[in-house]
Amino acid sequence: MKSLEIRNLQKTYFDPYAGTKVTAVQDVSLDIREGEFVSVVGPSGCGKTTILNMVAGFLPATGGEIRVGGRPVKGPGADRGVVFQSFALFPWKTVLDNVGFGPKMRGVPKAERDRIAREYLALAGLSHAADRYPNELSGGMQQRVGVVRALANDPDVLLMDEPFASVDAQTRMTLQEELTRIWQEKQHTVLFITHDVGEAVFLADRVVVLSKGRVMRDIPVTLPRPRVWDEVTEDEDFKRLSAEVLHMVRAA
Amino acid sequence: MATAELGAARLGPSRAMRRVVGAVTFLLPLLCLFLLWPVVTTAFDVNPRVFPGVGMVWAALVESVRDGSLFAHIGASLGRVLVGTALGILVAVPLGIAMGVSSGISTFLTPLFRFFSVLAGIAWIPIATLWFGYGFGAITFVIFNAVFFIVTYNTLLGVSAIPMRLRHAAASLGAGRRAMLTEVLLPGALPNIVTGIRTGLGFAWRGLIAAEMIATNVGLGYMLFVARDFYRTEVIVLGMIVIGALWLLIDRLLLAPLERATIERWGLVTRS
Amino acid sequence: MNPALQAWGYYARWTARWPGVAALVPFIPVVAIWWLVASLEVFPRAFFPGPAEVVRGFVDLTYKGILPAYLEDSVGRLLLGAGFGMAIGIPLGILVGLSQTAYRATWPIILFFQAIGDIAWLPILLIWFGFGLTTMTFVIVYTVVFPVVFNTVLGVRSVPRDLPRAALSLGAPRWRVLTEVILPGALPNIVTGLRNGLGYGWRALIAAEIIVGTSGIGFLMFDARRAGSATEIVLGMIVLGLLWYAVDAWILAPIERATGQRWGLVTRT
Ligand SMILES: Nc1ncnc2c1ncn2[C@@H]1O[C@H](COP(=O)(O)OP(=O)(O)OP(=O)(O)O)[C@@H](O)[C@H]1O
Ligand SMILES: [Mg+2]
Repeated sequence: MKSLEIRNLQKTYFDPYAGTKVTAVQDVSLDIREGEFVSVVGPSGCGKTTILNMVAGFLPATGGEIRVGGRPVKGPGADRGVVFQSFALFPWKTVLDNVGFGPKMRGVPKAERDRIAREYLALAGLSHAADRYPNELSGGMQQRVGVVRALANDPDVLLMDEPFASVDAQTRMTLQEELTRIWQEKQHTVLFITHDVGEAVFLADRVVVLSKGRVMRDIPVTLPRPRVWDEVTEDEDFKRLSAEVLHMVRAA
Repeated sequence: MATAELGAARLGPSRAMRRVVGAVTFLLPLLCLFLLWPVVTTAFDVNPRVFPGVGMVWAALVESVRDGSLFAHIGASLGRVLVGTALGILVAVPLGIAMGVSSGISTFLTPLFRFFSVLAGIAWIPIATLWFGYGFGAITFVIFNAVFFIVTYNTLLGVSAIPMRLRHAAASLGAGRRAMLTEVLLPGALPNIVTGIRTGLGFAWRGLIAAEMIATNVGLGYMLFVARDFYRTEVIVLGMIVIGALWLLIDRLLLAPLERATIERWGLVTRS
Repeated sequence: MNPALQAWGYYARWTARWPGVAALVPFIPVVAIWWLVASLEVFPRAFFPGPAEVVRGFVDLTYKGILPAYLEDSVGRLLLGAGFGMAIGIPLGILVGLSQTAYRATWPIILFFQAIGDIAWLPILLIWFGFGLTTMTFVIVYTVVFPVVFNTVLGVRSVPRDLPRAALSLGAPRWRVLTEVILPGALPNIVTGLRNGLGYGWRALIAAEIIVGTSGIGFLMFDARRAGSATEIVLGMIVLGLLWYAVDAWILAPIERATGQRWGLVTRT
């Protein structure tokens, strides 16, 4: 696993039609240690997706620096796995082939990558769906495939942009618990973006509150692990932290 | 409110400017192509029997405008298209809707109209000239049937694709037969009808040019084909440009607004 | 019970089991009416031949070997043209769809040449290449290219932006993104483009064979026109229709279904 360092990151969009500039990210610095799980919350439009896209290498930064394991980021790469809000599964590939895509790009032979894919699908309870196409799955199942696809490529850093926003409440809770379980096993470095304050606190070691393109607060979460919703919901620390973060997000 | 209006007024001219600049930059590659043309023809000393210079085409334009022949050809072609297309649409839309109302009849007839829409247009030229002789009748018939079969087929598909629950909803809201037709069936099938008109007109336009090459003594296709006999490439190229420009006009002024008003407005299809 | 309704019920059940029947049965009344009108001589025989004569013409021309040979010529030309058309259209469409610069540089030119239309090229092509295969292939390629380009561009642009990103972040090099993501993502549109393109190309072929003609179904029909033989014209039309029907129903539509529908990219009725 590798650490993630973000130094004085800045992003200004230029709209060629309106001829105007929008500064989405003013000045953000953020360090994530190896194997640490960090959630980022903030009001809509505060620049969360923009930051993640720059870390993923999809967008060039207009200022500052991003380092993964000490090396500067130049474009997308297999060291950073991305889980998309829109799932982004390849509709023309079966679930098995979607999960095996990363290994395929590394040149892993067919039999071996199928074995890897099946192993990860079993981890997410999706073995029965291996030969189906994405549009034959429910939303919750699709998102599990999305998570597992990123994991199966064995990335050092996991980047997730509101991955559970479009699944129903029950499924979301299950997915969150599965994610903490898998994370504890594999110890990835995680940057997790969300709107949902409860989700942010439940999952993370630290919650970062963003406002207008700047880091407003950085709050450690010391709840014991493993975490399950039945217990955490009752936890006084959880309630207090959630209320605190919610307050800050609304003030942001 | 006042400031917003002021702002808009101030933006006005610059927005118009931007549109002009936008149009010019969009057309820039085409302008370059036209500028390149005389350069290439003079630099390589191209035989005018192979490809004409700009000056020759210009002269051909001036001459054909002066003796009125260009307008005669354009008028003849457009007249045929107009008559054939109007007739085709007028017959096709009611027929398509009438057949599409009953799902039994429409599934029965769909293969038939599919077959004929495959043939529509150019393939009818030989039999049309046999039936109507060379001239206006045969050519207009080719255009008519290109539009007719394709618009009927698309209308048929469009009407049968209207969800039953929309028809039930209208009926339960008290729509009679007339209202059902004008309020549900026609608007519901309109996107398909418009697609049909676009495709049909595309086939008709090609059918027109082909038929005029064979079966008449006036019209743009004839103008091109006769010029070939005398190796007058400048007339051919002029004719091609006129044909292209006319189609662009039909497309921009007639078809695109029609599509924008129906299909895109209703969010049924998004065009890039 | 109403016997007509009952018969209709049988028909509906049969066609549900064998859809091929549903495609053929509607032609029975058409042929019957045709036969009736022809045998009553509503129109003069020479203008309006009956089914029997057309069948006789079919047997005759097949026996002489003319029909198979012409059919082979026409289909060969169409395939050649479609092959070249795709070979030019798909790469061009992908380039224009992916690169804003390529789009700006070529789009108005593409629109302009598309507007001129294939058949208007025939006279100058005849001057350049004479009466022959080059002229006809050029015309068909020209027709097929534009629908393929337009639809490929549409297809490339309709690939959600996150898909190539997902591939890149899973370690795919750029050319693999092209083959693994852009191309399959655009495929349903490319097939639609090919289908439209062949629809136009088909008509261009007939026109070219009529005007340029030395052989082929279009030539057969126009030659018959010159000789005043309506039978062979009608025969030619039926052959053309059947041929296209077969190509469309057995080749193009299944490809479209196999790609778009299973993937959930296209929903067609
Ligand atoms: N491609 C773009 N061009 C111009 N401006 C953009 C672009 N993408 C985002 N922006 C602007 O940058 C700002 C931050 O956007 P971003 O998508 O990062 O917000 P976000 O925090 O992810 O919001 P949400 O929670 O709603 O997803 C917004 O004001 C947005 O309008
Ligand atoms: Mg976002």
